[in-house]
Amino acid sequence: MEQSVDIKAINERIKEESSFVDLLTMEMNKVIVGQKHLVEGLLIGLLSDGHILLEGVPGLAKTLAINTLATIVDAKFSRIQFTPDLLPADLLGTMIYSQKKEEFIVKQGPIFTNFVLADEINRAPAKVQSALLEAMQERQVTIGETTYPLEEPFLVMATQNPIEQEGTYPLPEAQVDRFMLKLVLDYPKKDEEQMIIRHNLAKTFPKASTILKPEDIIRARQVVKDVYMDEKIEKYIVDITFATRYPEQYGLEKFKDMISYGASPRASISLSMASKAFAFIKRRGYVIPEDVRAICHDVLRHRIGLSYEAEANNVTSEEIISEILNQVEVP
Amino acid sequence: MKIDTYITWLRNAMLVIGLMMCSFSSFGQDVTVSAQMDSTVIFIGGQIDLKLQLSQPQDLELSFPLLTDTITRNIEIVRFNELDTLSRDNGRFLIEQNFRITSFDSGLHYIPPIVFEEASQKLGAILQTEPMALMVVNPFEEVDPQKGIVDIKKPQETPFHLSELYKYLPWVLGLLALAGIVTFVALKYFGKDVPVKIFKKEEPIIPPHEKALEALGKIKEEKLWQHNRVKEYYSGVTDTLRHYIEERFEIRAMEQTTDEIMDSFKGVDVSGVKSIDNLKQILMTADLVKFAKHEPLPDENDLSMINAYFFVNQTKEEEIKSLEEEKAEMLKKEENEAVTE
Repeated sequence: MEQSVDIKAINERIKEESSFVDLLTMEMNKVIVGQKHLVEGLLIGLLSDGHILLEGVPGLAKTLAINTLATIVDAKFSRIQFTPDLLPADLLGTMIYSQKKEEFIVKQGPIFTNFVLADEINRAPAKVQSALLEAMQERQVTIGETTYPLEEPFLVMATQNPIEQEGTYPLPEAQVDRFMLKLVLDYPKKDEEQMIIRHNLAKTFPKASTILKPEDIIRARQVVKDVYMDEKIEKYIVDITFATRYPEQYGLEKFKDMISYGASPRASISLSMASKAFAFIKRRGYVIPEDVRAICHDVLRHRIGLSYEAEANNVTSEEIISEILNQVEVP
Repeated sequence: MKIDTYITWLRNAMLVIGLMMCSFSSFGQDVTVSAQMDSTVIFIGGQIDLKLQLSQPQDLELSFPLLTDTITRNIEIVRFNELDTLSRDNGRFLIEQNFRITSFDSGLHYIPPIVFEEASQKLGAILQTEPMALMVVNPFEEVDPQKGIVDIKKPQETPFHLSELYKYLPWVLGLLALAGIVTFVALKYFGKDVPVKIFKKEEPIIPPHEKALEALGKIKEEKLWQHNRVKEYYSGVTDTLRHYIEERFEIRAMEQTTDEIMDSFKGVDVSGVKSIDNLKQILMTADLVKFAKHEPLPDENDLSMINAYFFVNQTKEEEIKSLEEEKAEMLKKEENEAVTE
């Protein structure tokens, strides 16, 4: 009975705490037309303390989305264009000699902010990618002999262009795994595009209002952690992750030779966290299988390694995830 | 006198010359040679036989001309046989040699007389065959370089004939024999333990609703929620219904969430909207119990079971009875009516 009361209390608390979700979505929708999935993904990343890798052609409002989010949350925002000649110091900061003070002083880089947009991350060499991904993981940066913690909330949204692959440095699997979600953006619908034209041709471009403070997000993250996840859901998540590693055990023998490596335990953690955040957005105090399924593609698509056989047969990780969801029994 | 002597000498000389002339002509008639071809017309590359013959008295030793590669510039020898000597009754020999000849140049080819040179020298007279002619016909179209280069024609396929399979016949027969031996050995030594059921009785197919009702009955009997096993109770009820939906409506309900199942029913013709509402109530309550530690009231638990029964009964597929069953049922009904009368 006590446990039942707890759930009720969590439910009530979440209903209270998640009231900002509707407001935030409304403000985002003022500026961003369509791209509901992007907005939802940003919120999940923000609430579950995860970073986002975005794949989409240029001009799909990626920068605008994160800029708007920063405005709504009253947070600092930096946009870093990754280029082949970028150096880790350009990102993290460095020590410069001050003639006035006659000593070396620290010049912090653009990473010292709340929201970072790493544009075209695969255009910079591995050392820069590594510097960013290390900061993402450790939440701190060391310059000289001093370690500086990064500001909270800290959200990195990195973009990748799916077309031009020449002269790029593809992210290694170990580093891609550090992104909680990989969102694939598509073009807007016809009516949405019409609306985009109107927004841009209007005398004043719509502007989002600030409705939250970074502290609100940090508090909401704590509430998200309290969202109840039953043992059955945990098992369901584990089953899905295991199905990516040993598909033959789940009646998917056809994928055995197509998957070179399956999702890591970090994927299970991300799937659980993102499910909780999704339940929170839906203003629920407990996770249901629908939540897991809703974010499963975004969490797993960059964590499944495809073999040459899969590529030869044009089998994508999307198809594998869909088949897994259709095969694993829902609790 | 001198004139008489001269005339006598001249007469004798003429006699001797006349005698000598006679002996030579008779010798020439005794040895004859001939050449014969199978045909005088061939297609280009075609082959025919050329037969050389020499007829001679048995006491003579004459040799044949040595022909190895060609007869003329255009006519080639493909192969030739050994000399064949036939003995005739009149004390003569007939010596033959066959040549297989061909030609790759179209046109009319003149074959000059074939001279038996050694024999001619021996006999002091020319021994040769009659001249011949061979017509070589080109059946193909003349290549006109003005038309340009064209592709090489593909080899023509010959029609399939059963005789082509004859070469595999020994293998097939061998494999069949081997399979027969293996089957015989297997049946002889292990066959006793393996009962062969050719006419196996088919197991009756239990309709999905019967299975579902039986499973629901079992859950009810176990009194799970009464023993504080509410989660198990709802898992049992929902699993039973999901299996039923899967078999009855061919919806993959076991791998679908509540929302997905309800969505799947949108395209299905279900009798009565109420049954769908009942299903929704059960699944949603079960979700709350399973994933949100919800503890429903006893009435709710009972209602879920009643709704599950209601859903199965409302959506079950009507059984189609066989004619015999219908007849038996009618007879039984008539008997009952007769008894009551």
